[in-house]
Amino acid sequence: MAETTFWFEGQDIRAKEGQSLAAALTEAGHRAFRQTAKDAHRGIFCGMGVCQDCLVTVDGMPNQRACMTLAQEGMEVARQVALPEFGDASDTISGNALHLAPDVLVVGGGAGGLSAAIAAAQAGASVAILDERKVAGGQYYKQAADGSILDNQQADGARLLAEAKESGAEIISGVELWGAFDGLLFLGQHESTPVIAQPKTAIIATGAYERPVTVPGWTLPGVMTTGAAQTLWRSYQTLPGKRIAVCGSGPLNVQVALELAKGGAQIVYIAERAPRAITQPMTALSMALADPKLATQGLGMLAGLRARGVPVRYRSELVHIEQKDDALSATFRKPSGHEDTVTIDALCMNAGFEPQNEILRLLGAKMHYDPAMGHLRCQKSQTMQTSVDGLYAIGDCTGLGGAPAARIEGEIAGRHAASAAGHSKADNLTRAHRTLARHRAFQSKLWQLYDIAPSDTAPLPDTTLICRCEELTLGDVRQGLGDRPSHIGTLKRATRVGMGRCQGRYCGPVAARMIAEATGKPIEDLSFFAPRVPIKPVAISSILAAQEALDDGD
Amino acid sequence: MTAIDALVVGGGVTGTAAALALAERGARVTILDAGTNAGSNTNAGSLHVQMQSRFMRLYPDQVPNVEAALPFYREATEEWVRLDRELGGIDLLQNGGLMLAESDDQLAFLEMKVARETAKGLAVEILDRTALNRVAPWLGPQIVGAELCREEGKLNPLLANAKLGARAAAAGVTRHTARIDTLEQTSSGVTAIAGQEHYQADQVIVAAAWGSGRLAMPFGLAIPSKSEPLHMNITESGAPQISHLVQHAERSITLKQFGSGQIVIGGGWPAHDLGETQPPTIALNSLLGNVALAARIVPGIGKLRIIRTWAGMNTTTDGASVIGRLPSADRVIMALPGDAGYTLGPLVGRIAAEMALDMKPSMDVKLFAPDRFAA
Ligand SMILES: Cc1cc2nc3c(=O)[nH]c(=O)nc-3n(C[C@H](O)[C@H](O)[C@H](O)COP(=O)(O)OP(=O)(O)OC[C@H]3O[C@@H](n4cnc5c(N)ncnc54)[C@H](O)[C@@H]3O)c2cc1C
Ligand SMILES: Cc1cc2nc3c(=O)[nH]c(=O)nc-3n(C[C@H](O)[C@H](O)[C@H](O)COP(=O)(O)OP(=O)(O)OC[C@H]3O[C@@H](n4cnc5c(N)ncnc54)[C@H](O)[C@@H]3O)c2cc1C
Ligand code: FES
Repeated sequence: MAETTFWFEGQDIRAKEGQSLAAALTEAGHRAFRQTAKDAHRGIFCGMGVCQDCLVTVDGMPNQRACMTLAQEGMEVARQVALPEFGDASDTISGNALHLAPDVLVVGGGAGGLSAAIAAAQAGASVAILDERKVAGGQYYKQAADGSILDNQQADGARLLAEAKESGAEIISGVELWGAFDGLLFLGQHESTPVIAQPKTAIIATGAYERPVTVPGWTLPGVMTTGAAQTLWRSYQTLPGKRIAVCGSGPLNVQVALELAKGGAQIVYIAERAPRAITQPMTALSMALADPKLATQGLGMLAGLRARGVPVRYRSELVHIEQKDDALSATFRKPSGHEDTVTIDALCMNAGFEPQNEILRLLGAKMHYDPAMGHLRCQKSQTMQTSVDGLYAIGDCTGLGGAPAARIEGEIAGRHAASAAGHSKADNLTRAHRTLARHRAFQSKLWQLYDIAPSDTAPLPDTTLICRCEELTLGDVRQGLGDRPSHIGTLKRATRVGMGRCQGRYCGPVAARMIAEATGKPIEDLSFFAPRVPIKPVAISSILAAQEALDDGD
Repeated sequence: MTAIDALVVGGGVTGTAAALALAERGARVTILDAGTNAGSNTNAGSLHVQMQSRFMRLYPDQVPNVEAALPFYREATEEWVRLDRELGGIDLLQNGGLMLAESDDQLAFLEMKVARETAKGLAVEILDRTALNRVAPWLGPQIVGAELCREEGKLNPLLANAKLGARAAAAGVTRHTARIDTLEQTSSGVTAIAGQEHYQADQVIVAAAWGSGRLAMPFGLAIPSKSEPLHMNITESGAPQISHLVQHAERSITLKQFGSGQIVIGGGWPAHDLGETQPPTIALNSLLGNVALAARIVPGIGKLRIIRTWAGMNTTTDGASVIGRLPSADRVIMALPGDAGYTLGPLVGRIAAEMALDMKPSMDVKLFAPDRFAA
């Protein structure tokens, strides 16, 4: 495999071709990438561009996400200081903007988005897919940077991607959308070029990000989401460490533990908050009936772990994490109340998912709260259209549903969006709707076996960090709630919770629940931080370039 | 001094300062606030003293009012300096404000402005590019000069609001959420009515910004308190480099760096109005235009990322504050700061409180009396 070399703090680091800076640095044993305003260290956490904690300076450009930046020959990479000099004139603005005006714009090239694009293109529509990652495929079908195929999951994804390319849909990778405006105008950036999209219809398929296990120490470098570890491995063949523990709740933890073990990592602990599935035989059975193949796969994974001598410890949860020299020391509480402490290089956590629904909320699509999953779901019709005309939404960004459901929803939305844009009628979808109903039944049973309802913050100590970006503790938030708990906006202004770079993606759901508890009011769309542009931080130079491009157009 | 019972309608910076001043002098005070669209919660924390070019351009007929009030602005920043000392740290920095010129015409405009402001006693001067390079080397090459007003500055409004609010609460000020429909004056006092709720007191201070005109209307005054939705942007943190408040001689912009290192960009770009009970929403052209302008005058910030934008509700009047008792209802005291209202709010609030207590106001505010709006 071809290699490149880049510089990190004066040291040369070898990277595989297509490897992210985050993966290459991890492989070289570096975990701390960024220094916070309070002098704490941070590294990879989400692995997917959401948390903004893996920031580094690249060739003089501050605050670049190491997980989203590919290593390139000769790059000068430095740890991100909290207050970078912003210097004199910037040379980062490139002239031309990319203007797109397709019949159907698909945002997100995962399971849902690719299927939608294929269906729309086959119905005769002009289609553009924008995806933030360098290689499309999304979270489930995550592709390897070097094109190699690890297993069936990746092979299916490669086929879907090839089909999308053949369909005539234009796939543009490395585009991050940061703004959405009424009348369907989207703004994004592709490297340093602004992207301006004014489609006839839009399908939002931005997927989900992971809900962490918020305990003291969860921000330490080496602690990351399970999906981040999975991306390191599946996309870059990089292990997050030698000795690894996994915790939270849900099937992804078991799957990734097995993947990492097969890759050569030593899985020293798996803590699952829920009881063993066998304690809920009826639910387990009806899940298995809804999708025998997937249920069998799940059992296979458990067997695979057992064969490697790695038991899943049920009804066990993470209590805290501490830095111990170069390693992490993680403490788990067992059902008996006793604690186990293990020394590890990396800790993976996933306690459910949060939909990436920012674009939908910005455009005013109606939402409702799903208490079982602990997150908002986007209201959509049988055609997958949201409450906003011409705006369709599919897959996990509308509420968790899994990859198979995302694919079917994509097919349905693609056909209807194409039809709304003036192409062939969206008929013969009865079978698709039937399959979708089956996938949804499977999902609803599946999640009943896990414990992903957002956990109670009451037992956590005041010192637990809640807002990663602004470095606010639970104590700060509790104090902010103190006298007059009213609204999340008030709490935000009083404490700065949610005011940082990740825009409240981790603290927002926690704050929303704490306010609901304090006021006795039910959680709804308005309980969460008001959606605002930019949905992802965007360089001023890029806004300047977008302004110039739109000005020229007038 | 005997304790009076006072209501304050509107709990932004003006109302809170008024309530605090009353409570500190022994009065029992309740703030009644509708809880929506307070400019104080969304403002940029610029301490304005010199005449804002945006204002002179938009409302030329009101310039004489603003000009007459210039000494009031200077006094108002002094009030903030006092508050900074008393409240303990609100990130206040009074290092002056620069108003930039990009052409000789603009510089000539600033020179005219400097002459008028000097006549009013402001500490203003013109800096040429060489002088600017010493204090603000980060400016774009097209900037030919600037007006420096030494009295201008900035503070962190979130910190200031939190500390001012806490201090008022500690002084015994209570606060209710209520949207007052009307005020009624009787022989024994005044009543503020919100639906079924009646609140009674000896006097009321109206510090309800855009909501004030409607409350004064039944008393025969047409106070033009208009809501004006405005746009703001903020970046992630950078090393402290910009210590001035930066404005432009011809275009709408304010730019400054908070103590956190974040750069705040605003200056009066419009937002979409959704009415009194919902915050305004972002207008694309304001976001693009405002940020692009900032990038042109301070090119180095191009590398920083905008992490948030927001919109809030400003209140305009005829350009000057409205302070004083209503001619036809002497238990009702208006307290509207008018232009650059966050700068003026604490001083306006304190003076209104002094009036409520029948003290001699610490500044002559006859110029701002409400009777100028008598129908
Ligand atoms: C980290 C992670 C790992 C997962 N791993 C598994 C797994 O191994 N097995 C499993 O069964 N399920 C897994 N899931 C759940 C699974 O991803 C989903 O059920 C499935 O991928 C949903 O498909 P989707 O099309 O809705 O979203 P995704 O497949 O997640 O696709 C969304 C796409 O949108 C792009 N995107 C998001 N925001 C923007 C933006 N602003 N601009 C441009 N592009 C954007 C993303 O880059 C992504 O490619 C995982 C989820 C996550 C978050
Ligand atoms: C985006 C933006 C940036 C700004 N930047 C600056 C700046 O940098 N510097 C500066 O000096 N000024 C600035 N301003 C202006 C400044 O914010 C306001 O002028 C100032 O905050 C007004 O304070 P206030 O207390 O008088 O009124 P507000 O803070 O507006 O409070 C009025 C309160 O009265 C309530 N109310 C209204 N009607 C009723 C009723 N009938 N009953 C009960 N309550 C009622 C409202 O709900 C509100 O809470 C800015 C304004 C905006 C919008
Ligand atoms: S790890 Fe890179 S943004 Fe979260």
